[in-house]
Amino acid sequence: MRACQPSHEGTVCRDGVEIVYEVYGEGETTVLMLPTWSIIHSRCWKMQVPYLARHHRVVTFDPRGNGRSGRPAGAEAYGEREFAADAIAVLDATGTERVVLVGFSMGAQRGLVLAGEHSERVSGAVFIGSAVPLGRAVAREDWIDDFTRPRDSYEDWNKYNRHYWMSDYEDFLEFFFAKLYTEPHSTKQREDAVGWGLETDPETLVATQLGSRVESDELRSLAARVRCPVLVIHGVDDAIRPYDSGVAFADLLGAALVSLHGAGHAPHARDPVKVNLLIKQFADRVG
Amino acid sequence: MRARLPDRAGVVERDGVRVAFDVYGSGDPALLLVPASPITHARSWKMLVPSLARRFTVITVDGRGTGRSDRPHASECYAPVEVEADLLGVLDVVSVERVVLVAHCHAVPWALRLAVEHPERVLGVVAIDPAVALAAPHPYTVEPERRWAEPRDAPTGWGMRNRHFWRTDGGYRRWVEFFFDRQLPEPHSTKQYEDTVGWALDTEPDAMIAEREGRAAPSSSETEALCRALHCPLLVLHGSEDCCQPVARGRRLAELTGADLVVLEGAGHLPHCRDPVKVTRLITEFVEKITGATMHTTTWTRGLSRGKRALYLSSPIGLGHARRDVAVAKELKQLRPDLEIDWLAQHPVTAVLDAEGEHVHPASRWLASESGHIASEASGHDLHCFQALRRMDEILVANFMVFQEVVDEGCYDLVIGDEAWDVDYYWHENPELKRGRNVWLTDFVGYLPMPDGGEGEAFLTTDYNAEMIEHIDRYPWIRDGAIFVGCEQDIVADSFGGDLPAIRDWTNEHFSYSGYVTGFTPPLPGELASIRARLGYREDELVCVVAVGGSGVGRALIDKVVAAFPLAKKAVPELRMVVVTGPRIDPTDFPQRDGLELRGYVHRLYEHLCVCDLAIVQGGLTTTMELTAAKRPFLYFPLGHHFEQNFHVRHRLERYRAGQCMDYATTDPDLIAARIAELVGKPVDYRDVETDGAARAAELIAELV
Repeated sequence: MRACQPSHEGTVCRDGVEIVYEVYGEGETTVLMLPTWSIIHSRCWKMQVPYLARHHRVVTFDPRGNGRSGRPAGAEAYGEREFAADAIAVLDATGTERVVLVGFSMGAQRGLVLAGEHSERVSGAVFIGSAVPLGRAVAREDWIDDFTRPRDSYEDWNKYNRHYWMSDYEDFLEFFFAKLYTEPHSTKQREDAVGWGLETDPETLVATQLGSRVESDELRSLAARVRCPVLVIHGVDDAIRPYDSGVAFADLLGAALVSLHGAGHAPHARDPVKVNLLIKQFADRVG
Repeated sequence: MRARLPDRAGVVERDGVRVAFDVYGSGDPALLLVPASPITHARSWKMLVPSLARRFTVITVDGRGTGRSDRPHASECYAPVEVEADLLGVLDVVSVERVVLVAHCHAVPWALRLAVEHPERVLGVVAIDPAVALAAPHPYTVEPERRWAEPRDAPTGWGMRNRHFWRTDGGYRRWVEFFFDRQLPEPHSTKQYEDTVGWALDTEPDAMIAEREGRAAPSSSETEALCRALHCPLLVLHGSEDCCQPVARGRRLAELTGADLVVLEGAGHLPHCRDPVKVTRLITEFVEKITGATMHTTTWTRGLSRGKRALYLSSPIGLGHARRDVAVAKELKQLRPDLEIDWLAQHPVTAVLDAEGEHVHPASRWLASESGHIASEASGHDLHCFQALRRMDEILVANFMVFQEVVDEGCYDLVIGDEAWDVDYYWHENPELKRGRNVWLTDFVGYLPMPDGGEGEAFLTTDYNAEMIEHIDRYPWIRDGAIFVGCEQDIVADSFGGDLPAIRDWTNEHFSYSGYVTGFTPPLPGELASIRARLGYREDELVCVVAVGGSGVGRALIDKVVAAFPLAKKAVPELRMVVVTGPRIDPTDFPQRDGLELRGYVHRLYEHLCVCDLAIVQGGLTTTMELTAAKRPFLYFPLGHHFEQNFHVRHRLERYRAGQCMDYATTDPDLIAARIAELVGKPVDYRDVETDGAARAAELIAELV
């Protein structure tokens, strides 16, 4: 059973893609929990929503490609700006003027688009385990080429490959979420995430990988347009997105940085109490 | 001594009336603390200023009519517009554009009006026990208020709030004593009572009368209009037991403005004096919230990823604690090699810690000087240490706030406080702030009155003891361990006073005993000769070491001993006297004599004490116990009015049959010379001092981690 039921749920449709959202609690401040990569969906915020909804209004939605949202075919449907536009559509549909947004991993990219290009609607942003192109020099087309080309072996990070996903999707999920939760005693968090990953399919997930991203130059120009307070939370032992990139991201944004020692990529799931308190404290101040 | 001095002080003058202000710190935003003048003044904020000023710019004013401000006697000088113009004048002089106003009692209407009339300058208001006419006054104040201007015959109680009575001989003082007694319903508020009465007596009846008649406090409809027009954030704090302003007034103010209301249950009219920790934290949170203060860059370590950590606090009062605490810490590290120890400490403890390679927490630099305060309280051969401790209240709370920040962020498993009075007191006063396990060490239990303090002092020491006993009865989980540095027999036979229990019985129930901790191993008899030779003392001379500790307190004793030297030297020709003056007394100030040496500082003084033929010292525990452990003859002069030296230390030394207690006031140089001749180089039959105290203390502490 869930700890807390949405007070309202609904669907918005953009270009034929249905986006399912949920609204919890009430309050002057709305906290928007952005979806991350469609390998998981809005349930990844399950440890945050009941607590935050007692203090603020909370909006979540499933990403295109997973959960109860649509699964359009083709990479174009999964560009970063599509996710950002979904968020705006959800805000409009729920009559939400301004939000404190919370983004995890890939959510930092769409969150940055929102904070930079829709600054009037964002009063603050929290980015957790941010997946942003800082300090990595691999060109996008080279990366896609590598991702889509068959490999000799599929050990370790070589599992991160379209062909492997198509042949042993579940094993990839097991591998990936083991890297996501490096903290000891994380069995439940891994099981949850694998389960959410199995709610979509490898074809869809491949499409999400081929969509357009916020590239490095664009990231900097968006960051320069951010006017709201930002809090960056990053696990020092993050095995998905290096801690250094979180530090660089905070630096770029002039954000407060909370470094979580011993924590991996998804501290909101593994250290929910600490992250809940940080989000609430931040939302109280900026909301 | 104050916990913190202003960075800037000044006056603004308007129409010939001068109003004094102080500025502390430089953080953002600025806070203007507005007292309910002239019955009180800027010092009423003393418990809040040091910690607020570490984060914000803090401006305090005395208010016209009191403190260092002028005291006009015309009522029109106290019109609200005048007071408000003073406050704006101060802001202009210090070039502060916008402030958060923190106002108490009848200063709240001034603050509200400033916020309404100058919204561009007021970021927010904190109203403490506001005097706002939004609910009926306490019924007992109504009749006296009506008869304020009427001559009354020998009024009592609230009837003493009367313009004629205030002008009678002693009338104003009697009113003030009555009033503040009612405003502090919290038990054990003697210090706050003395302070507030003292501040009220800093003004004069004519200024008080003029202010009361010129105050023009807003009516209920005017106050309601102010509430409607107020657009900045407001926080209302109100004591549930406030006998001056009914809590209904604070409630109504919050209702009408949509402000947050914090009712302080059990608190009276002066929570900023009596519950300074809570009030400081509430003000800080409010200011951070309304200014959207950005969150700080921090780190947090997952629970299971943390190493075990302890925070050790070593009292800087006297020089004695540092070495024993280092000894305990070293034993503790033997027992718990994975335990990391940080020290929150100040001079002179830090000198010992640095030399030992211990890690001093960087927040230590924020600590207000306790040893400096104690030195400032001493004069001649006298230190009323109980009153000095009471007057250290603002330093203790300032240092507690530093400590609390350190433990809030430091994830300590254990706090070890060797006479860390601030932690022990304020954790019992604010138990929700406790972090980790906590062990308390002390070498005496119980405040004892000096006989010449009479009933008044006995009342105070009893009250302080009662508060401590109630603290521990009510919150037994604040002290996870309590260690008496000594043995059961070292505890005096007295009671805590009044109906309170015998100190020894109570201590037996609430403490463990570690035995005495010297922090060093005394030399064996066979080692004495070689140490003497290394220190330059010949076998054929009789060495008398005179030591007075590190503060400036020892001058009077040195004068007397130096005066005794020629007589002693005549009686004992082999006498060599080495006087260690300490860093604050200039050794060249004394007459030069053959066989008399004066030194400012002596490295490893305890080695000299261990091999001397006689020592002359004050009555401090550490030095006298070093001499006891080393089995040296010594004369000790307890400081006048120092209850610990006169009772607790003396009792302990008598149990060890050690030393000869001397009364400074009645001892002349002849007597000192005679005692020197009698005792120098003579054998002693002291009881052995235990050598395993540090290890036993460490074992007791280690059980907690």
